[in-house]
Amino acid sequence: MAETLHNLALGFSVATSPEMLLFAFAGCLVGTLVGMLPGVGPLAGISLLLPATYGLNPTAAIVLLGGIYYGAMYGGSTTSILMRIPGEAASVMTCLDGYAMTQKGRAGAALAIAAIGSFVAGTLSVVGLMLLAPPLADLALRFGPPEYFGLLVLGLFVLAALSGGSVAKTLAMAVLGLFLGTIGIDLMSGFFRFQYGLHELGDGIGIVPVAVGLFGISEILLALGRAEPPRVQKPKLRELLPSRRELAESAAPIGRGTVLGFFIGIIPGSAHIISSFVSYALERKISKHPERFGQGAVAGVAGPESANNAAACGAFVPMLALGVPSGPIPAVMLAALMVHGVAPGPMLMAEQPKLFWGFVASMYIGNLMLLVLNLPLVGLLVNLLRVPYAYLYPAILAFCVLGVYAVNQSVIDVWIMIAMGGLGVLLRKFDFEVAPVVLGLVLSPMLEVALRQSLAMSAGDWSIFVTRPIAATLVGFAVVLALAGVASSLRGRAAWRRRLGLES
Amino acid sequence: MTIAKHVLSALGALALLVAGWPALAQEKFPAHPVTMVVPFPPGGVADQTGRPLAAAMEKVLKQPVIVSNKVGAGGAVGMAAAANAKPDGYTILMALSSISIIPEADKLFDRKPAYQMDQLAPIALISSDPTVLVVPAEMPWKTVADFVADAKKRPGEISFSSSGLYGTLHMAMEMFAHGAGIKLRHVPFNGAGPAMTALLGGHVNALASGPGVVIPQIKAGKLRALAGWGDKRLPVLPDVPTFKELGFKDVEFYIWSGVFVPAATPAEVRKTLRETVKQAVASAEFKDAMTKLETPIAYLDAPEFKKFWDKDAAMLAAAVKKVGRIEEKK
Repeated sequence: MAETLHNLALGFSVATSPEMLLFAFAGCLVGTLVGMLPGVGPLAGISLLLPATYGLNPTAAIVLLGGIYYGAMYGGSTTSILMRIPGEAASVMTCLDGYAMTQKGRAGAALAIAAIGSFVAGTLSVVGLMLLAPPLADLALRFGPPEYFGLLVLGLFVLAALSGGSVAKTLAMAVLGLFLGTIGIDLMSGFFRFQYGLHELGDGIGIVPVAVGLFGISEILLALGRAEPPRVQKPKLRELLPSRRELAESAAPIGRGTVLGFFIGIIPGSAHIISSFVSYALERKISKHPERFGQGAVAGVAGPESANNAAACGAFVPMLALGVPSGPIPAVMLAALMVHGVAPGPMLMAEQPKLFWGFVASMYIGNLMLLVLNLPLVGLLVNLLRVPYAYLYPAILAFCVLGVYAVNQSVIDVWIMIAMGGLGVLLRKFDFEVAPVVLGLVLSPMLEVALRQSLAMSAGDWSIFVTRPIAATLVGFAVVLALAGVASSLRGRAAWRRRLGLES
Repeated sequence: MTIAKHVLSALGALALLVAGWPALAQEKFPAHPVTMVVPFPPGGVADQTGRPLAAAMEKVLKQPVIVSNKVGAGGAVGMAAAANAKPDGYTILMALSSISIIPEADKLFDRKPAYQMDQLAPIALISSDPTVLVVPAEMPWKTVADFVADAKKRPGEISFSSSGLYGTLHMAMEMFAHGAGIKLRHVPFNGAGPAMTALLGGHVNALASGPGVVIPQIKAGKLRALAGWGDKRLPVLPDVPTFKELGFKDVEFYIWSGVFVPAATPAEVRKTLRETVKQAVASAEFKDAMTKLETPIAYLDAPEFKKFWDKDAAMLAAAVKKVGRIEEKK
């Protein structure tokens, strides 16, 4: 412990130098903007700025890029809450209750809770990273394809808990999402599927164009169909802050979201995207008022927003402790170190204490900066809602097209977004929820690859899922959930029949 | 009065510039910025080599060289974009060994090819790094002989990860397996990073990897290197033998990077670019950048690079054919 404190002191001595403070602030600011711009997520933001870090020293480079990553998690919630447009994939769930809160005139409260939740989650996760990184990293590496598969099967059951509407409709949407996820190259055989000669579809359909289309574009198109324009809101200053009750309601979800997000975040791969979905489903499941979800439940904002920030920090655990490129974003950050001749590996913490502890300390500072940056912004951002829709909507559309195009410089992505906007209008007119489509699309490629990699590891022997302890636990848990779901639906059916007098 | 004069003369200069633009462009390459297409994401080998090269080329060309990451389909999107670009020298391509694999894989699946290799002309080879065979330190094999003997005892049971089916790391391993007459179990991943993560987690038993990323893991005692694919030992791993030394004649593989232009680019423009790359590679700043990445520079000018490429492409084509379509192997 004394050693940790000593190291932390060293870290703060690095991180509080004016130069590092500047880079941490620049990273947080760029991250917030990148998160706000629909389409451009943290990966695109970090990739775009990577060359700019070549002229810096390695500590400054990683402080800057790290700031962009967790800053984007703060910024991503803004457009979700105000305009129902997910700024990046991890903010999809915030669109549901965050936007519902906005429609009820609680936009300021939603933004403030998202910022506070992100701050708490970010700070607690840095504590976890600091104290537990080496043992957790070893645990994380034990997640191979079979364990990943178990986790994702659990994720499938999360789908069912995402909405309060008809189960059949939810599952239909989930299956649509799963099908969309099969587009693109088959990693295990090299065949292209449903590609129709478009090389851009070789990597599959991106999550962001689909999410922006289904949520954001459809909202704008639906507004066009109304006889009267949506009411322009005039938020009052005293309504900007969350009420005592809203704060009390968000405390527990923030705590649960933090723990959940952190542990999902340390697992190598892209599972961190599902952290916000899992958190939302968990909150809805254990809530005393599940019917409030989708109508502006505070927990539906607090949980997912905390989870995605904690996951962003968790992803640094295997990266810093073992030098493992545990996901696309850590891979780019490791590349930033390699350019400076710092070879990332298990010895990084021992050989580069200034870099490691400087980065840890900068994350404490960065999270504080983001809170200070974001809370006053709430007042400013909420005023965007005062802009008449005739001006606001075209501007939003322009930003959506720009952001989605910028990620891969692909016009195909823009077309996907527009098509998904049309599809979203149809689905929502018929009372289908669109969130399960997005989660299905997120899960499908990961699930398929994990399953087939597992079977490649075992040469086709399915027992690999029950002979490995972590995988067996996860799969067993999923089976229990499935059986519980079937039992409750059977009970419900029996109760319905009894009510109608079909059975005595 | 004087202000008006200035404005007028500026306008006049501008008009001259606009009128003279096409003529200038035809006369002297390069008259405006050059775009370097990197078909892989930032942070990858191609990007990390391409950016310092672009910076060094700028100084020689006296024109900006802008790096554009056109990512997708294992590099096919960017390479096709460069192959079909206007052949005026203003679009150059930074490609890796996979440039020869993609058309072969397209052929294998009877797909409309993304591009043909003869659509691109080589300018220079920049780097060439042999892959290294690594296994987790807790595995019993101390030498390639141990590994091969064990693999012969239980064919198809020792597994290896790769950056993807028909990817460079997969091809390297197949060459070794073929040369040693053994059968291994292939678990493809999406990129070299996840392949390394799976090896470190003990989910697979072996990996052919670029040397840069494995050296810290070897030093930390997590991984053991058994052999290298180069024609001589790596300076950073002097105790690790090459497959050639061990008697595997045809087991030689490099992850290389090189600069290409569309094939129809005029000869004099190509000559300028060749000279530019030659000077850029020799510059101190580029050498320094590559030393930090622990990637040796292996410069070859267009004629020698062409020979190198032809040989390498033939080798890779043979390896792809040997692997064949996955379904047909059952």
